[in-house]
Amino acid sequence: MKRLLRMFGTTTFRLALVYTAIFGVSVSGLFGFILVTTDVFAKRQTETAIVAEVAAFQEAFQREGIPGLVQAINRRADPNFGWAGIYLLIDAASNPLAGNIGAWPRVSEENDVWINFKIRDVSKAPEEIADVQAQKFTVPGGYKFLVGRDLREAREFRGQLLRSMYIALALTLALGIIGGVAFSRSIMGRIEAITRTCQQIMSGELSRRVPMTRTSDELGQLTLRINQMLDQIERLMTGMQQVSDNVAHDLRTPLTSLRNQLETALSQTSDGSPQSLSIEKAITAADKLLTTFRSLLRIARTEAGVQGNLEELDIVSIVRDVADLYEPLADEKGLQFETRLSPVQKISGDRQLIAQAFSNLVDNAVKYTQSGGKVTIVAEQDQGLSSFVVADTGPGIPPEYRERVLERMFRLEESRTSPGSGLGLSLVSAVAKSHNLDLKLEDNYPGLRVTLLFGHLSE
Amino acid sequence: MRILIIEDDLEAAQYLAKGLRESGYVVDLAEDGNTGMLMATSENYDAMIVDRMLPGIDGISIVEAVREAEIGSPILFLSALGEVEDRVSGLRAGGDDYLVKPFAFSELLARLEALLRRSATTTEATFLSAGDLEMDILARTVKRQGKRVYLHPREFRLLEYLLRHTGQVVTRTMLLEHVWEYHFDPQTNVIDVHISRLRQKIDKPFDIPILHTVRGAGYKLEPVSQS
Repeated sequence: MKRLLRMFGTTTFRLALVYTAIFGVSVSGLFGFILVTTDVFAKRQTETAIVAEVAAFQEAFQREGIPGLVQAINRRADPNFGWAGIYLLIDAASNPLAGNIGAWPRVSEENDVWINFKIRDVSKAPEEIADVQAQKFTVPGGYKFLVGRDLREAREFRGQLLRSMYIALALTLALGIIGGVAFSRSIMGRIEAITRTCQQIMSGELSRRVPMTRTSDELGQLTLRINQMLDQIERLMTGMQQVSDNVAHDLRTPLTSLRNQLETALSQTSDGSPQSLSIEKAITAADKLLTTFRSLLRIARTEAGVQGNLEELDIVSIVRDVADLYEPLADEKGLQFETRLSPVQKISGDRQLIAQAFSNLVDNAVKYTQSGGKVTIVAEQDQGLSSFVVADTGPGIPPEYRERVLERMFRLEESRTSPGSGLGLSLVSAVAKSHNLDLKLEDNYPGLRVTLLFGHLSE
Repeated sequence: MRILIIEDDLEAAQYLAKGLRESGYVVDLAEDGNTGMLMATSENYDAMIVDRMLPGIDGISIVEAVREAEIGSPILFLSALGEVEDRVSGLRAGGDDYLVKPFAFSELLARLEALLRRSATTTEATFLSAGDLEMDILARTVKRQGKRVYLHPREFRLLEYLLRHTGQVVTRTMLLEHVWEYHFDPQTNVIDVHISRLRQKIDKPFDIPILHTVRGAGYKLEPVSQS
């Protein structure tokens, strides 16, 4: 249903619809013209036939007078003659002398030569009404005479024509709409393929390319250019990744040896001596540096969409484990720790990354909430939408900084004194992006409320 | 105990060798993949420490060859690549543990000892004990000095891991990896809190503590001598 609605909204479909409408109007115009022409032609033909017959009767009258006329009429009025005409000759007393209708029709336009009237069809089916157009004359001696044609057949033909036109018009419109739907669907399919590929690439599947169907048309050209562009982006990205991997390897090795030397030095000092305390501090500092470095690398790799071990994850169980890990810490700090976890749909993802993201969120919540505060962790499923919430009653994050805290190494002025590297939320953001989770930072009145949303409302 | 180290960074390798020798191991050193491969498949070692990135044959290929030659000695991978997929590929090739550079020497020693212990005791015990502490894994009960100690499931697993490595140093990272199955370091050191909770239950009510903190390294479960 949603797909259908979306199709109605596409440019291609609207174009097809407009085109169909214009075409429909022109076809209607054409049909109207044909109908009017046919009418005129049919009328003229009837009149020509009548006029020709009248000429023949006049000739018979001039040659042989009334008896000749009567004879001519009777011959033509004979049903076996196969003539479609209507005839009547009456005398001054209105007595019929010849013809195939019983009485002179009652017509208003006494003075006109052309008259139209309806009579019962005596010859064929008595209940039918014949629709007649006729020409009347006054013959010397008080006789009156008319020659006509039954118009029913012409009318029927016209009706048939009109019906055919309606059907043809309906067919035109239907074909136009079906064609429009098919056309827009085929175009939409190709555009959707492009959109889908773009989404996959944004979620980190850098090797994806738009499937090529035709290269000759405009869309094919667009596809080709997009794929070429993607090739280039991929080259740049893998190059960058290579550099960061090399930096990791090259910088970590000297750092390792620095740390190891410190460890050796530590083992040569006696416990509790001023030297050993200094060395321990140096080791802690080195460790912090290395941890920060490792986190940076992990975020970079996650953002670049390096695929880990993808599996179907029950995130609720991961969240439960994380909550389980932090519950004693919260307890020790004197925080209320509440978990409301209901089952949610499974999500394909990297277990370690998801666990680390939630661990970072809960870690922050516990770290920034004062004793007596509350940390709440919620997982719930609302139709197709899974949501995970980590909320605290700490100082929160001012709205203007909610975007910026996701940047690497950004820390709020107030929290600079507390331990941390400013990478926790950056990792959460990177993990959310690579797993198609929607990350929202909101006010918890008071505190911070972080929501991760997955899926979309059912169609 | 004979240990083989295959590591191309000479400084790191010599530091490792020196530390291990001081801890009482016999250490052989190979500085490139080809030499390492030759030594690993021709000599007998109780354990091997293999760097992943090596000149010549890389670490993964060496380990695959070693396993193909049906040599079962425990192997510890060293690598600057710390991502999960690298870890998985290393373990899949036949490695037994994976340590990301840079590491503290104490971390490496703890892991190496755990590996050597694991290869010595092959059967999975269902009843563990250390001095006066007893754990029945099937019944999920813990007793100390005959008195029942009630533990949460996670505390139980934590104690189980410590008991399986009685007398050895167990690092925080090892606990995170084996008890929580996390291959990352949480920002705050949450493990300490769990340990202190466990201590409340297995140490505090009794005279002599058995769960000790090892400075700069981790924790150690040391049984109380029965005498």
